[in-house]
Amino acid sequence: MFLAWQEIKRNKLRFTLITGILMLVSYLVFFLSGLATGLASLNREAVDKWKASAIILTEESDKSLYQSSMSIDQLKDIKAKKTAVIGQLNAIASNGDNKQNISLFGINKEEFLMPNVTEGRAFDKANEVIADDSLKDKGFKLGDTLSLSSSDQQLTIVGFTDHARFNASPVLYANLATFHQVKFGEAADQKKDQINGIVVKDDPILNMYKNNELDSIEIESFIQSLPGYTEQKLTLNFMIYFLFGISSIIVAIFLYVLTVQKISMFGVMKAQGISSTYLSWSVVAQTFILAFIGTALGFALTLVSGAFLPAAVPVSFDLALMVFYGLILMVVATCGAVFSVLTIVRIDPLKAIGG
Amino acid sequence: MAVLELHQVKKSFGSGHTKVEALKETDFLADRGELVAIIGPSGSGKSTFLTIVGGLLSPTSGDVIINGKNLTSLTEKARSQIRLKEIGFVLQASNLIPFLSVANQLKLLDKVKKGNMSKTERDQLYEDLGIADLLMKYPSDLSGGERQRVAIAKALYSNPSIILADEPTASLDSDRAYEVMELLKTVTKQKNTTTIVVTHDIRLVGYCDKVYKMTDGVLSSAIEKHIKRPQTVFEEKVAYTNH
Ligand SMILES: Nc1ncnc2c1ncn2[C@@H]1O[C@H](COP(=O)(O)OP(=O)(O)O)[C@@H](O)[C@H]1O
Ligand SMILES: [Mg+2]
Repeated sequence: MFLAWQEIKRNKLRFTLITGILMLVSYLVFFLSGLATGLASLNREAVDKWKASAIILTEESDKSLYQSSMSIDQLKDIKAKKTAVIGQLNAIASNGDNKQNISLFGINKEEFLMPNVTEGRAFDKANEVIADDSLKDKGFKLGDTLSLSSSDQQLTIVGFTDHARFNASPVLYANLATFHQVKFGEAADQKKDQINGIVVKDDPILNMYKNNELDSIEIESFIQSLPGYTEQKLTLNFMIYFLFGISSIIVAIFLYVLTVQKISMFGVMKAQGISSTYLSWSVVAQTFILAFIGTALGFALTLVSGAFLPAAVPVSFDLALMVFYGLILMVVATCGAVFSVLTIVRIDPLKAIGG
Repeated sequence: MAVLELHQVKKSFGSGHTKVEALKETDFLADRGELVAIIGPSGSGKSTFLTIVGGLLSPTSGDVIINGKNLTSLTEKARSQIRLKEIGFVLQASNLIPFLSVANQLKLLDKVKKGNMSKTERDQLYEDLGIADLLMKYPSDLSGGERQRVAIAKALYSNPSIILADEPTASLDSDRAYEVMELLKTVTKQKNTTTIVVTHDIRLVGYCDKVYKMTDGVLSSAIEKHIKRPQTVFEEKVAYTNH
């Protein structure tokens, strides 16, 4: 540590450079992870809000809530601790001035899909909805009357809830009757038993139903099947893993060059009896110091610039995940010291004496 | 008991028709308080001899015994420990660590040798070597002579019994070279070390108690020296060729 730190202090410029590179790489990693988290929650937060273990959909729907259609009677075949029915459709909502893609959830008020109300009140009557508060940023407010693209029905926002976006659209929560009105219009009365799925809380989730038209899907698997979700996540994660590799290679090259420059110096120290182990640890410690400073600066930079981002950018920082990625980054960067260590171990102290 | 003994030490490099006998069968003894010079032209085997004595190079055959311990029978790790504790190396200039201040050059040794020198001893060492004023300086700020003084301080750190110096004056002008030799001599007497100075510079032999000549890997027998310092080039020549 002593040797490592003294060298950094004496050669500020070159070590600032490598720390700067590490800072930028970690900044990119943190930002991408923020983007991944942000995009993921854009897709899944309304589902996470259920705190459910599984969702039961028709087998032929292929895990798509929208494509699934069943009768509310099928509830009797389900033996789970807690159940909640859900109807779902997508539409474009307009309050006259603003238009927005929304997802309408038809639910029973007394079941566990009922969201918390952060502003206003819960829906009581037909055509009243609780809306996700991201709609507020889009120019919607309490008391707005919404007309929907696919229906003549007019809905009124009576309350707001938070963290309720489903597959990138804000959710409107209404009772099942309202949902049927919107979905079937005139035919609502004949279709009043029709729902899209049943959300359940129980474990284990096996054997909850005795009906081969239905399929129970674990919540995580349901989320993975949301359109675009997995693809997005894989892309961003791939970029992050790639950056881990890059940072390790950059550090390896940089340190190796520095080490090669110092071969004769290491030779002298070895001749004096300073062990390869001490010198190797010194290089590893040095790398770790640089990786730590670089990552910490990247972390700080991410949080600072995150605070100035417009709300529209779907970035959300999961601090635990960032710390985890930060640690990985420090570890892979430190692995970059391995070539230097090998070089040091092979240095022959004899070469230092020559003359 | 001699601090350093070599018994029938031989070293050859390569094999077949490229074989070089860098050091022919050599016996050698050195005691405490002795400043020994080994002189000889370039390529005669001086460095080979010194690196074998320092445990950096294993002889092809024979034994090197330092304070009763046979180096050739030890592992590299154990030899490294002996280098650390019993041997101080003084090499050509530029053997200081460029990014450490003079004080930290010594502090580093303190760390790896686990601090076996007290503060008073250390301050005394700085005084003796006249580097007390240089402590905050970096090697690039020092003159060649100052650098060698620091190098000698490093070699003396933790009171080794043997000091090995390979061409310690090679990069210095005559006055600085004499200064460094004077210092090595003082140190040898004061700290009662065995000091071996390898050089091809015959002007330096005047400082030494014993002078050996190395020619084509053959070490000539010891010549006791009592001349304080050669005064003229002529005298130096006589001092050298007489033996
Ligand atoms: N590692 C080595 N491999 C082959 N030959 C060597 C090696 N080291 C030294 N020699 C040879 O041994 C002889 C003595 O070298 P050296 O001890 O360095 O001489 P000096 O220090 O007196 O100039 C020279 O001929 C040199 O070429
Ligand atoms: Mg030599």
